[in-house]
Amino acid sequence: MLFSSISFLYCFLPVVLLIYLVVPRRLKNFILLLSSLFFYFCGEPGYLIVMVAACISGYLHGLWIDKEKGGRLAKISLISSVFFSIGPLLFFKYTNFAVRNFNLLLGTDIGLLNIALPIGISFYTFQVLSYTIDVYRGDVKAQRNFIDFATYVSLFPQLIAGPIVRYAVVESELSSRIHSSADMAAGISRFIIGLSKKVIIANTLGELGDIFLKSGSKTVLFYWLYALSFMIQIYYDFSGYSDMAIGLGRIFGFHFPENFDYPFISRSLTEFWRRWHISLGTWFRDYVYIPMGGNRAGKAKWLRNIFVVWFLTGFWHGAEWNFILWGLYFAVFLCLEKLFLLKVLEKIPVFARHIYMLFFIMVSFVLFNGDGLAECISNIRGMFGFPGVPLVGAEAIYYLKSYSVILLVAAVGATPLPRMAVDRLKSLKKINRLANILEPAVQVSLLLLVTAYLVDGSFNPFLYFRF
Amino acid sequence: MRNNTRNIITIILFITIIFGFMIGNFAAPDKEVSASERRTLAKLPEFSMQKLFSGDFFSDFDKYSLDQFIFRDDFRGFKAFVKYNILRQKDNNGIYMVNGIINKLEYPLNEKSVLNAANKLNDIYNRYLRDINTKYAVIPDKNYFLASENGYLSIDYSRMTGLMDENISEIGYIDLFKSLSIDDYYRTDIHWDQDRLIGVADKILEEMGNAARASDAKFTRRELYPFYGSYYGQAAVKANPDTLVYLTNSTLESAMVFDHYSGTYGKIYEPERFTGIDPYDVFLSGPQPLLTIENPDSPTNRGLILIRDSFGSSIAPLLLCGYSKITLVDLRMISAEILGSYIDFTEYQDALFLYSTSTLNNSYMLK
Repeated sequence: MLFSSISFLYCFLPVVLLIYLVVPRRLKNFILLLSSLFFYFCGEPGYLIVMVAACISGYLHGLWIDKEKGGRLAKISLISSVFFSIGPLLFFKYTNFAVRNFNLLLGTDIGLLNIALPIGISFYTFQVLSYTIDVYRGDVKAQRNFIDFATYVSLFPQLIAGPIVRYAVVESELSSRIHSSADMAAGISRFIIGLSKKVIIANTLGELGDIFLKSGSKTVLFYWLYALSFMIQIYYDFSGYSDMAIGLGRIFGFHFPENFDYPFISRSLTEFWRRWHISLGTWFRDYVYIPMGGNRAGKAKWLRNIFVVWFLTGFWHGAEWNFILWGLYFAVFLCLEKLFLLKVLEKIPVFARHIYMLFFIMVSFVLFNGDGLAECISNIRGMFGFPGVPLVGAEAIYYLKSYSVILLVAAVGATPLPRMAVDRLKSLKKINRLANILEPAVQVSLLLLVTAYLVDGSFNPFLYFRF
Repeated sequence: MRNNTRNIITIILFITIIFGFMIGNFAAPDKEVSASERRTLAKLPEFSMQKLFSGDFFSDFDKYSLDQFIFRDDFRGFKAFVKYNILRQKDNNGIYMVNGIINKLEYPLNEKSVLNAANKLNDIYNRYLRDINTKYAVIPDKNYFLASENGYLSIDYSRMTGLMDENISEIGYIDLFKSLSIDDYYRTDIHWDQDRLIGVADKILEEMGNAARASDAKFTRRELYPFYGSYYGQAAVKANPDTLVYLTNSTLESAMVFDHYSGTYGKIYEPERFTGIDPYDVFLSGPQPLLTIENPDSPTNRGLILIRDSFGSSIAPLLLCGYSKITLVDLRMISAEILGSYIDFTEYQDALFLYSTSTLNNSYMLK
């Protein structure tokens, strides 16, 4: 089930909300768990068992690790937990990739597995892993209540596309959390904003991407329009989903971490990655980069660590070579920036630093979005007019005109300017009073507009569902 | 820090909307069809364990909840309004409006499809029509008149007709492009307006070598109002309806239409269909694979085979003055392979392929 679907908004959510608010406190997690299992079952009936198995495995391993803490079997229990967490992810996500490359390399003809990727497996696997590792490290206590633990893993607001919520973040809220009108209202606002970002902006720009991919008259302008629109689309798609997750979490009394912090205002790629998919970046930092020595083990190991982390980051996003290259692309740039480029960048005008960041991010997303390596290369070559691609054409100009307002709105919306303007207005007493009516009215209008887009549209899965 | 009043208002409005629509959708009776979109709407899926565990039940339920959402058309209108007027998008789902005329983008030119159409015509000609006076004509769609000059994407029509010309050598061409203008089409529909086709009918009769002229026949205008064409529903915006005019006279009223599939006779015009899903079905009962109009008043014994799309339904009655019978073949619904089983081609002197540019650009629907 998608958040951006009529059946979620006007069937699932009201029913769950009603039951959740009515039942006594001690049953709230149980209701959330049941709702989350049903939510997952609606989208992936066959794979519910995989998710439940991850919950059971994580729960039992947490207890085992806790029991063996400081003992002989502590490490074995941790290795076992990593094996049982990563195993299903490797099997479902990477088997076909391995088989394809094995066949290519050795000329064999081993058949591919006819399996789909369970939705959200990359996210909930990382949540379970972070929990067992944190228990091993003594950062959190093992959860003894299975309902609470399974609720943490399967919580529907962030189950299928993050953010990756560490157990430590919600540990106390799982056992006791405060429900307030302030939290609920803030959650509703955030949810509606996320929904609008996804449905009104990301989906609309997605249409432009589809038009480009089907077009037979691609020009340099069209390639750039596509690259720009996809870069903005993926931001609105993914950050919109994170907003919805954070908003829904808050409605139910949870405070999830932020996942995006205006990444497009960055002045370097290093800064960009501090602001983009923060929960994934910090996960790799805390569970891979730092345990490998981080930047404290000499320059060579430091660079190696960066390459390992970014290889894994790319591979996490998808079992295709273009994702691996995408990760390594960032590894190269981050190394260069750390070695000397950041110092160079500091000497050039801020505007030029933004251009530098946006250019390389845009190219990276063309690499990210290609259907195979050949298409990625072809699209990147096309951006620079190779081979013999005309500069402009009627189609590109038409779509540039048609999508210019939404691109402009999206570009401004990706900066802190709207937030700053609203805060500035609210600081005026009269306006602040007016905001009591205006803000909810805008939110209602957005919700109705989203409903209109959904009713008129078709099925639009989130981009990050495939990860 | 959010103001408490604001919080309460936000919560109440949100709860009211999600619960209100949930209850509204639950209480409202399901609709069979969408009149504006001219299609049947999804029904509540039947429950079975197999459908539940395959995931089909939930995906069908999603479609059902989309199709049966209350105030659906109003929501679609709201979205169209925002796309056109606030986001300034040039089209909404490919639909655009120029001076109250609703149109759908036909882009890009699908050269393979045009070649496929040309091959289809050649194939049918070689198989059935070699001994018959055969011509083909192409009807420009509304984009020909509207798109390019108003900044919308337009296919290269000369390239399209050029491709047809290059690939059809034995069938004569009747050029209708200069005989038509945007005023000859309905504002809210894809089709041309029969009321303005006398000149086109005369041109076709002349090019077919037929001495009769539609302009010599006396017609009575019958008006049906309001006519909301197929683009009206797709556009989901407010626009003035058209008037559907059909031209009739004693010959057309006494003519009988034989449906080869059902083996039944009907009339040329069926005004009672005006209130159906597609009011254009007034002409020859709408899309039918194989019909023959028999003209009992004809002074000649000349027959015409009209191989056509839906545009043929409204012009065929105007051509009847020159023929004792016209057989209309819609290759979207009947395969060319089996035409010989239904039609004795020796009974016809003329044959005309009459297709719109939209059909040529999407010709894989021709069987």
